[in-house]
Amino acid sequence: MKVVVPVKQVAVVDEDFELADDGTAVDPDFLEWSLNEWDEFSVEAALQLAGDDGEVVVVTVGDDEATEGLLTCLAKGAGRGIRVWEQSLTSADALAVARVLAAVVERESPDLVLCGVQSSDAVNSATGIGLAGFLDLPHVAVARAISGGEGSLTVERELEGGLVEVVRIGLPALLTVQTGINEPRYANLRAIKQAREKPLEVLDLAGLGLSGDDVAGASGGRLRKLAVPEAGEGAEMLTGSAAEVATRIREIVQDRLSA
Amino acid sequence: MARDPKYDILFEPIQLGPKTLKNRFYQVPHCIGAGSEKPGMQAYHRGIKAEGGWGACCTEYCSIHPESDDTSRVSARIWDEGDVRNLKAMTDRLHHFGALAGIELWYGGPHAPCMESRATPRGPSQIPSDFELNIHPRYMDKDDINEVQQMYVDAALRARDAGFDIVYVYGAHAYLPFQFLSPFYNRRTDEYGGSFENRARFWKESLEKVREAVGDDCAIASRFAVDHLLGATSIQVGEDGVRFVEYVDDLVDLWDLTVGDIAEWGQNAGPSRFFEENHEKPFTGQVKAGNHTNKPVVGVGRVTNPDTMVAIIQSGQFDIIGAARPSISDPFLPKKIEEGRPEDIRECIGCNQCISRWEIGGPPMVCTQNATAGEEYRRGWHPENYSKAGNADKGVLVVGAGPAGMECAMVLGKRQMSAVHLVETDSDIGGCVNWISKLGHSDGKENLFRGTARGLGEWARIVNYRQVQLHKLKNVEVHLNSRLSAADVLEYGAEIVVIATGCHFATDGLNAATHAPIPGADTSLDWQLTPDEVVLGDKQIGQRVLVLENEGYYMGATIAQKLAGEGKDVTLVTQAADVAGYMHYTLEAPMLHRDLHRLNVDIRTYTMVDSIEPGAVSLYNVWDDRHKDKVEVDSVVLCTQRLSNDSLYRELKADPAALEREGIEAVYLIGDAQAPRMIVDSVFDGHRLAREIDSPNPAMPLPFIRERRLWGDTGNGDFESQLLAPSDMVTA
Amino acid sequence: MSGVLVVAEARRGELRDVSLELIGAARSLGGPLSVAVIDHDPSRYRDRLSVEGVDAVLAVATPNEHFEPHVAARALEGLIASEQPDVVVLGHTIDSLGFAPAVAARGGHGFASDVTRVSGGADSLVVGRSAYGGKLEAELDFPGKDTVLLLLRAGAFEPAGGSGSPEWRDVQVELGEPRSEHVDFREAATGDVDITKADFLLSVGRGIEDKDNLEQFEGLADKMGAILSVSRPLVDAGWVTNARQVGQSGKTVKPKVYLALGISGAVQHLAGMRGADTIIAVNTDPEAPIFSVAHYGAVADLFDVADQLEQQSG
Repeated sequence: MKVVVPVKQVAVVDEDFELADDGTAVDPDFLEWSLNEWDEFSVEAALQLAGDDGEVVVVTVGDDEATEGLLTCLAKGAGRGIRVWEQSLTSADALAVARVLAAVVERESPDLVLCGVQSSDAVNSATGIGLAGFLDLPHVAVARAISGGEGSLTVERELEGGLVEVVRIGLPALLTVQTGINEPRYANLRAIKQAREKPLEVLDLAGLGLSGDDVAGASGGRLRKLAVPEAGEGAEMLTGSAAEVATRIREIVQDRLSA
Repeated sequence: MARDPKYDILFEPIQLGPKTLKNRFYQVPHCIGAGSEKPGMQAYHRGIKAEGGWGACCTEYCSIHPESDDTSRVSARIWDEGDVRNLKAMTDRLHHFGALAGIELWYGGPHAPCMESRATPRGPSQIPSDFELNIHPRYMDKDDINEVQQMYVDAALRARDAGFDIVYVYGAHAYLPFQFLSPFYNRRTDEYGGSFENRARFWKESLEKVREAVGDDCAIASRFAVDHLLGATSIQVGEDGVRFVEYVDDLVDLWDLTVGDIAEWGQNAGPSRFFEENHEKPFTGQVKAGNHTNKPVVGVGRVTNPDTMVAIIQSGQFDIIGAARPSISDPFLPKKIEEGRPEDIRECIGCNQCISRWEIGGPPMVCTQNATAGEEYRRGWHPENYSKAGNADKGVLVVGAGPAGMECAMVLGKRQMSAVHLVETDSDIGGCVNWISKLGHSDGKENLFRGTARGLGEWARIVNYRQVQLHKLKNVEVHLNSRLSAADVLEYGAEIVVIATGCHFATDGLNAATHAPIPGADTSLDWQLTPDEVVLGDKQIGQRVLVLENEGYYMGATIAQKLAGEGKDVTLVTQAADVAGYMHYTLEAPMLHRDLHRLNVDIRTYTMVDSIEPGAVSLYNVWDDRHKDKVEVDSVVLCTQRLSNDSLYRELKADPAALEREGIEAVYLIGDAQAPRMIVDSVFDGHRLAREIDSPNPAMPLPFIRERRLWGDTGNGDFESQLLAPSDMVTA
Repeated sequence: MSGVLVVAEARRGELRDVSLELIGAARSLGGPLSVAVIDHDPSRYRDRLSVEGVDAVLAVATPNEHFEPHVAARALEGLIASEQPDVVVLGHTIDSLGFAPAVAARGGHGFASDVTRVSGGADSLVVGRSAYGGKLEAELDFPGKDTVLLLLRAGAFEPAGGSGSPEWRDVQVELGEPRSEHVDFREAATGDVDITKADFLLSVGRGIEDKDNLEQFEGLADKMGAILSVSRPLVDAGWVTNARQVGQSGKTVKPKVYLALGISGAVQHLAGMRGADTIIAVNTDPEAPIFSVAHYGAVADLFDVADQLEQQSG
């Protein structure tokens, strides 16, 4: 089986940070980068499904910082990596990124595309299914277990409240994968060294036959500004008798857990 | 990062007589095994805390005269000019870092056996020490009293010459001034005994004389056990305790308050097994709470949490946070709070290993959490500074994330090795600490003479600290749930391999006493267990349990506590004179025994197991094996000895050609995997290897400075040449 | 037509509460408001959807008994084509995430997920959502987008109430074939305690005072459907293993709900749980630091509140 796994190098913000001049991004001096936690699981799932005979290709839309993340995936056993970048992609949102990924996936023609459910920094939870939309691929979101492989997969979807739905889907398809679906393998030092010898292609939009307008047009919205949330406003205080407080607590809990 | 404003109060200066204490972090007098005869160790251990931000650091108890000699326990001494010179090394170093230097002037009376000086200690009445039972003091008449008070004065003058800022008249832990004050020691009928004022007279006069001698230049401190914990037979905080504080308040610039005595020192230096943080508050807290003093008060209670420290000062409990063990565990605690990184604080676990070495008499101090304690001078180890390794380009594989492995990986990470992989079979790092910290029962309610049975939960801090540090190190990866075979290790791609695979308990009763297995001992049977199985395993433990311990430290006794606490009928057997002998050194024995008795554990000392059969264990007395007994049991726990898990190491070592082929330059064996030992020593072992990973032969520890005088050495040339500026230390 | 189209959500014959929150949010945008029901039997939700402010309910009956993302996508695309709403509002839920982004992608629509604030009006929309893992808040708008799809965070908006009588329209849409097949539903098995995976943590600290009281809170957690977690002092005292410890030296948790009873909020503890979606704290000390990160707080006796929670949880 050939599996393409889009991955993302996510930003972790320092305790003390400043915004970049235009107020729409954090100053990169205050950012640290690491591979998105969900992608550890999607890469592992891909490696397991592809097996020794198959191929796993990892792809990312990101600048130089993202190379590290691709190398981690190559060290784990992915065969090939692709990084797409140019300046115009700096503010690409989930759907814009999905548009770029779609061009890569079309080029690769895999049996399966595995994405993480979400990234830990932007938390849009949209890139994977958006990608499926651009590709018109059958899709299932939030997989907690995958089995099968000869032309079709049985997938468990994790629903709210601890419920699970079991569905079947034919290949080719796209799945978004939830954390905890497997036990991600790690790369030993030898594999980490050898990862640098694996093919890692760097492309710009033209290299994929895309224009800046194609990508901008796919974008879902425009970021006007970032702000630090109002800190220390304190809690909304619940008053009344213990019984009243308890009732309110239960309401809030039920609210937040359901839906 | 900046200091959180809520900790500002800890950094406010406060006046102690003529001296200014720059913040509220005060290292109270405590032993380290250095004294005045290892001036390098003394100066650099105290100095590292000053560098770490402590506002004042004190000596240990400091003998004022050869009549106060605690050999083989190590005290400081200020008998002569040589001692002045040696202790000046300490005061110089403290002053260099802006800290005040304190000296705790000590006369022990009959508690100090004078085995080196062969002098005779004096005391208020001729009652032998309750700590050193055979030592009788010489009765002090009025001339003796003046002589001894003059010893304090002479010592104080020398102390001033040596550069000390704070001079103590030390009357805690039941040393001489307290012996006069307390009717438990003082049966005199003259003006130094009987009424409160009479009993207080010696101490008061001593303070007056010392103050007169050096009080203009030095802050006069007194360490006072406000409650002896013996009820009406001695000093009680609500009676003579606060009364004495008021009585001599004008003579004192700083009160240093404790409880208890030296005979059961564990009531003050309370181990975490039985005492919680700030445990002395009900006693020492009464002094300020009842407005009994106008002077600053410092107190202790194994306080490690900055939030607790703030609460102590804000609530008015003390003015100054006193610490001994928390300062040993983390000399940089104040700096870390100041720099806004309290998560980096290495918290004391209250194991009292540091104290145990002093109790044994002779060895230098150690610390489970801080492997550099006691090594600052003799090995040049700085707790926070790590030089880049000379072979930092190498990758390292550490197999096993127990105490040794975690520490080794952490220090290798801090030494900037290019890549360190710490691989562990379990789902979490921590190794044996993970199950050991679950040992012991913790009903938390019943008062065992002030303490409560709390279990070993605080020992989990060994893991907590390293977890945070390992996570911060970008060049260290931790991989869990991964068992490596020899082939995996060969394949790994590391140039340096460290095997830290721990140990296991003997399953056949092989033991330190008889050096042979025990007939019928077999922990593969479901009614026989090793200690770890008691915590981790699935075996059902029956109602009647026999625990055999031959190791002499806490394991067998703690298992007995745990099972008895769960309602089992427990028989605890040891071939030694006492169960858990080492726990006398860690000050845990008295509370342990109270707990074992409360739980009706049947303790058999000088007893060994002859054989084990289903339902019964045969015992004999080690002195006379005609004395036999048979105990009916449902289960047996064997805590006889441990054995290294070294098969992986042996397999790798057996094939040097394979190692060479795969580019593995060295394979090291550390911790319990090398030889089962105490956790403090496993942490040390991992630390040492990492510190010396770039030495010519890392497996062999480098020589350390021995602070000895060489025969034929006319002056001090050799000593001076030994003062070092080791690469990892900050140069003065 | 323009205005707002809400996509209601149902599962196994029950309308999910988030649907009413979506209607509540939609009302704040003004203009005509329709609610789409894409379901095997839309009429069963008629009563619950007849709330104040809903002008029309558009029922799309599907051949498949259970949610199927491709069918749902085609249904929504059909409705967007025929109704041409300015804004489509869905819940940020597992089902909706399974198809809404695909619809937005294919249609070139505006899109934002996990939205916590909406303002402007249906045709000058500005929304707020968090960014950088919750450390910051982002403000988005949608210039040039005729239709914008929003997925609203559950619990962030007030549910609509009252009663109304919306127009009911059965809408025919070319739904195509499902591309996945429902096999079964089941409950997830719970394995060993892993507090980092829990949606709902009930966390206790020193305030419970005595080890014996732990049992009561274990029982309460069970009843409320929470996993029990603890702060450091309980682990130090040996009452609980550190597998349940929340804090810098324990585990970092990000549950949907973190209910802290008798926890003061030492800085090391806060570091482990401040990322929780909703933090509710009960403590007798009004100055307890935990109130500075909690969303809801009560200065009350935790035993009284716990007793009440127990009774009310039936």
